[in-house]
Amino acid sequence: MNAWGPPGAGPVVHDPMTLPADDNVNSYTFCVELKGSQWFLQKGKMIAYYGAIEFNGVGHGRLDRLVRTSFHSPLHASDWVVAEGSGKMLLADRAFDVNSYDLDDGNLTIRSGNLLAFQPSLALKQSIVPGFLTLIGTGKFVAASNGPVVFMEPPIRVDPQALVGWADCPSPCHHYDHGYLTGVMGGLRAMTGLGGASREEHQFEFVGAGTVLLQSSESLMAEQASGALPQEPGVPGGAGVSGSRGQQAGAPRLPGQLGDLQRRFGL
Amino acid sequence: MAFREINSKMVEATVVPGQRLFSQRGAMLAYKGEVSFTPSLQGGQGGLMSMIGRRVAGEATPLMTVEGSGTVFFGHGGHHVHVIGLTGDTLYVEADRLLAFEGTLRQGTMFMGSQGGVMGMVRGQVTGQGLFTTTLQGHGSVAVMAHGGVFEVPITPQRPVHVDPQAYVAHHGDVRNRLSAALGWRDMVGRGSGEAFQLELSGSGVVYVQASEEKL
Repeated sequence: MNAWGPPGAGPVVHDPMTLPADDNVNSYTFCVELKGSQWFLQKGKMIAYYGAIEFNGVGHGRLDRLVRTSFHSPLHASDWVVAEGSGKMLLADRAFDVNSYDLDDGNLTIRSGNLLAFQPSLALKQSIVPGFLTLIGTGKFVAASNGPVVFMEPPIRVDPQALVGWADCPSPCHHYDHGYLTGVMGGLRAMTGLGGASREEHQFEFVGAGTVLLQSSESLMAEQASGALPQEPGVPGGAGVSGSRGQQAGAPRLPGQLGDLQRRFGL
Repeated sequence: MAFREINSKMVEATVVPGQRLFSQRGAMLAYKGEVSFTPSLQGGQGGLMSMIGRRVAGEATPLMTVEGSGTVFFGHGGHHVHVIGLTGDTLYVEADRLLAFEGTLRQGTMFMGSQGGVMGMVRGQVTGQGLFTTTLQGHGSVAVMAHGGVFEVPITPQRPVHVDPQAYVAHHGDVRNRLSAALGWRDMVGRGSGEAFQLELSGSGVVYVQASEEKL
């Protein structure tokens, strides 16, 4: 979409009538039309609005029922506001590409930093996968990405930084490629660190029916806190487990060393 | 052509057995099928001497070999990607701008001083290319990264092209380039136009220019 219209014609000037309803104005801006309805949006993503729109923090007493029904991550509720009223509202996020998605009685899991806004007819829940949020139900939501989003059919293996989200895929899992670390040469490589790592040893693998959303670059958007997890045994990524995960501190790594890969592959 | 542009920041490459691709390490976004990514110890093609040459020249960008059968998607750092098809001529490009290229292309390193002597070396310093640049020769396609969109400017013998050194991406064809300095007393007293140095390309070929003056 071109914000500048035909060449030589100058920028397109919008007024409340010509602004699209629930559609992209250009690839960086999305326009939401409110007719007495409500939208959830992340704090600070509204850039302009026409009409009478009220923005209330999610903790607002009147909205308690709404939060209960369509907002299931109470611990990060302070990052969200509810827009209510009638008019048109423009959403954008740091000049990243913005797209809207329609869910029809479906589910979609998305990286927490990428979600900008959603209709309350959708239910937002924390995903079991840490750092991701799942939207369930029917409605529209708006998400940002670094570069245009590409939809892919499984089976596919995706670089962790390029993944935006997935819909209906039952099996997001880790996949490790380390063929080049086996054999005599591979052993030498792993021991000396010579030759370095291809940095593509680790992917997310998706199989089964569904859709995988990719952004066209490996620059992640800043992660949004998706709320603390209950400290219970059996909760992945919960505070009780996090101590043993991640990189071990201390023992500085030699340059070119493969790091955690060696441990993962049992070398 | 092995590369297909999906959008401005992403290319798709088809990998078939027996044909390999080189790509910058960590630039794979996703893949389908059975594809393996092996860090290339030599940083590209050629024997041990080419590897040493590249190390000395500072053109040794970490590359990996992509082999197998399937489809691979490449993209890196949110940069714009442009696919250049080569039919026998030589592409001059900085190694860190290379996203991926076909294994059918011959990779080499060129000393900037060999094109225009001392002025060539000065040119390398101003354009940020350094003293050496990478050449790719043969038949095949290359995916090049740029900050902002890329456009092609044809160079014909009658019409030399002037490019801002910071916006220069790559060129191919039979092209001579030289740095033209338009330094005057205004530049000395800090009232210059900011366009004192330009890259003048003449001959016949194509120069690729990015829509930004930011280096990668």
